[in-house]
Amino acid sequence: MPILEISDLIGVWDPATGERTPIVKSDVVALLREAGDRRAARIVERMPACGEFLDPGAVDHLFLRVHTELQRLGEELHMVQRFAELLAPVLAAVRSHGPGPLRVVDIGCGLGYAIRAFAASAVLGEDVELIGVDFNPVLVAEATRLAEAERLKCRFLHGDAFALAEPATVYISNGVLHHFPVSALAGFFQAQNRPDTMAFVHYDIAATRLAPLGAWVFHRARMREPLGRHDGVASAKRAHADSVLLNATARLDGMDVFLFEPMRYANPFCASMRPVVGVRPELTGELHRALGRRARGLVRDVPTGPGR
Amino acid sequence: MTSPPGAAVTVPALLLVLAVVDGAFAGFRAGTGRNARIHKHDHDLRAAGRGVAVSMAGLTVTAVMLLPQAAQRYGDLIEAGTRMLMVLTPYALIVALSLVAYRLLPMRQSTLMILVGLGPLTLVRPAVVVTAAVAAGFGSSDRLVWLAAATAAAGVLIVEPWVHRRWYREPL
Repeated sequence: MPILEISDLIGVWDPATGERTPIVKSDVVALLREAGDRRAARIVERMPACGEFLDPGAVDHLFLRVHTELQRLGEELHMVQRFAELLAPVLAAVRSHGPGPLRVVDIGCGLGYAIRAFAASAVLGEDVELIGVDFNPVLVAEATRLAEAERLKCRFLHGDAFALAEPATVYISNGVLHHFPVSALAGFFQAQNRPDTMAFVHYDIAATRLAPLGAWVFHRARMREPLGRHDGVASAKRAHADSVLLNATARLDGMDVFLFEPMRYANPFCASMRPVVGVRPELTGELHRALGRRARGLVRDVPTGPGR
Repeated sequence: MTSPPGAAVTVPALLLVLAVVDGAFAGFRAGTGRNARIHKHDHDLRAAGRGVAVSMAGLTVTAVMLLPQAAQRYGDLIEAGTRMLMVLTPYALIVALSLVAYRLLPMRQSTLMILVGLGPLTLVRPAVVVTAAVAAGFGSSDRLVWLAAATAAAGVLIVEPWVHRRWYREPL
């Protein structure tokens, strides 16, 4: 049976126009029941509706609450430091190959925590333009509001991960990959294989046997929204195996692709989140040098077979 | 059970310190996940302060209830407090160690402390507080002791939901 996340079902926007698609509540409930997830069905049943449709205002409000709580998880997992650990050497390698505008684009940025934190600390350098892109216009508006409130030099745009309007030197994402089915992953990576792009760093949950249990404890202790608690565990169950992620990048021309510190090459208890890293071949040596001892964590091949 | 020497002062003092520190953390937790700004030191401090204030209000209720008869039953109350501390102190020490480890360890190991330490410890906190209250009443036939233990436990457990509902119901 498929593992579904409620948030994927209650917020849908037209990729071309950005227009919201009205969601019939009973359809979502039926879908979740069909998938054998009665708890998720009950959560949706309790959500306010306007006639047969889910109340869009209530859904938007819920998205804001859940994503604000999600940011806290990102803070506790040191996600910004994890990104900076890789992005700083990647950007240093890019700079060593010549001057030019540098741009980091966060795909599926949510409230734009990573981008706003980079802007606040300038850890990537003042010469880097910082942009967040998300499919959900409510989150884009909130990310913009938060950035303006703290006068941060970054911006946020509505965008589709599979048809990126914004070119980037480096694309990043956090907790986005597991939202896509295996069949869509290659398209996701291919959309970033653009002439100006030098690298990508996509963090997601490591697909381990312990991940769902860890996610349950972590979300139960830290999140109040039932939707957030449910989707957090579903995310861990849906996480793609290392071999699946590497296979999805197999046909990317002109990119060296690695996993950074995957399960078998790191302390498994510390590998809750690990990224897929792609770099142009001319930068690979420089990235290894800049990472120093940490470069041992860059792995091209992982054993195939069951992910968990 | 006989209370250790000096217990008449140290037991209530330790319980007070634990209540204040726990209140601060409960207030902090009540405000977390409600402010997505990058710089929120002031927000966190205010939330912790609110937690302490609500915690002190709870303690005051317990104290007012005990005050009229405290002098006559001080020995029983100290013994109950000692039993309470036997449950709370190990928990508090483990939490303190986990927090220190989270702050001082390198990034990856620090994250691990959240997953194996601070997360589960937050989850079991209500059970620990209830256990401490039961331990306080255990072996005592004094209804005042039972009532005081129950009121104190309720006062501790109410801090986080109270602060959250009063000040942090919606994202800021």
